[in-house]
Amino acid sequence: MNNEVKTFNLQDLNIQFYKMAKKILIVEDDEFLRSLNAKRLETEGFEVSIAVDGSEALTKLTEIKPDLIFLDLLLPNVDGFEVLTKIKQDDTTKNIPVIVFSNLGQPEDIEKAKQLGADDFMVKANFTLDDVIAKIKEILK
Amino acid sequence: MNFDSSLFLDLFILLFSPAFWLAVSIVFIIAAVLGYWFRGCSTHIKLSIKEANLKTQQIHELEKINRELESKNRELYAKELELVMANKRLQSLEAAKSKFISVTTHQLRTPLAAIKWTFDMAIKGQLGNIDEDFKKFMKKGFQSTERVISIVNDLLKIDTIDSEKSEFSFKPTNLVELVDNVINEFSNQIKSRQLEVVFEKPNKELPFLEMDEDKIRMVLENLIDNAIKYNTLGGKIFIKIDDSRLNSAESSLQITVVDSGIGIPSGEKDKVFQKFFRASNAIKQEPDGSGLGLYITREILEKHNGAIWFEEGKKGGSSFSFTLPLRQKKV
Repeated sequence: MNNEVKTFNLQDLNIQFYKMAKKILIVEDDEFLRSLNAKRLETEGFEVSIAVDGSEALTKLTEIKPDLIFLDLLLPNVDGFEVLTKIKQDDTTKNIPVIVFSNLGQPEDIEKAKQLGADDFMVKANFTLDDVIAKIKEILK
Repeated sequence: MNFDSSLFLDLFILLFSPAFWLAVSIVFIIAAVLGYWFRGCSTHIKLSIKEANLKTQQIHELEKINRELESKNRELYAKELELVMANKRLQSLEAAKSKFISVTTHQLRTPLAAIKWTFDMAIKGQLGNIDEDFKKFMKKGFQSTERVISIVNDLLKIDTIDSEKSEFSFKPTNLVELVDNVINEFSNQIKSRQLEVVFEKPNKELPFLEMDEDKIRMVLENLIDNAIKYNTLGGKIFIKIDDSRLNSAESSLQITVVDSGIGIPSGEKDKVFQKFFRASNAIKQEPDGSGLGLYITREILEKHNGAIWFEEGKKGGSSFSFTLPLRQKKV
């Protein structure tokens, strides 16, 4: 009896989650990191889009209108700081939360990203993907 | 006999006459006063000669101490500048090191993150089911990766020191006046080494040059000090300001200091501006020298976008020329 109720609740939650599947844009130039992150987010039920450099990030941004962006900083073509600046300057995108997800992490990098409007700064090597999921849920709740 | 006895009697009477004793005492008093006066005179003269000797000696000593103080002062200033320069070099080294660490660690962190995430996902069964034994090995792998990451993070904690900011302040300065002042500073040494100094100025009045006056003063002091120290007794120093490039595109003045001294051995010429270098003949003449003077001189001139070079003097000796641009480029 107890078990049944629990199952029902979980299903209910999953359905709800699926209905409003959150769109997440991962901007990452390293292929392996990108695929691991995407895989982990998809198993969590998110709708994942990928951009491999800064300029692709800017096109995908207007196409997809993601609910949250994971942004690397060192990127080919247009770098992450510039992408962040453009996101925060554009009225249609400035409210999308941006988590800077980079292996830079010197105080001045963090300071610069925060000043440009980043919602959080995570150093990739210092977190696991479970931490990442927890962070997304915290921001999107 | 009669005569004899009367003379004796006369003398006897004289002994008892007050006039006689009065005369005798007057003579004694005069003698005593004269004696005292003569003695007083001679000691007085002796004293004043001694005093004069003492005073000239003191003046000489003071002059010597003054000269020593002047040179110590210059040495101190040179040392201070050496320290400033050394500090700057350290700062740029630090910046290079910081940049190296930052780039390297970033390059390390990306694959480390990939390994860490893979181990983590494998351990949690997110990459498929694994048995407990395999999971144990995966955990060891994860822990090792975490250790490497923490080492990388520690390396990154070494903060980058602000890249060197110029401490030079450039102001329009009268170069001719500055050279005159520096020559004056050395007037004692020039006199004591019996040197002849000629300063050839251009006929027309020169425009003021943008420079850090204290630093260019150092340059002139270094060059003129060398021209004095490494000169021969009774030698010559020739200082010239050449304004022929004042109206060219890169408007500048050239200053040359030539001496008739010991020169620099031909095999050692390439090293004159190197840090700590001292020519073998220079060490003989002046054992105490840091070998930093010309190095600092060149550093200062490079900060002024100028240049310095060495040529052999026509009759032996050395010739150092440097250029200073009229205006400093705005950074």
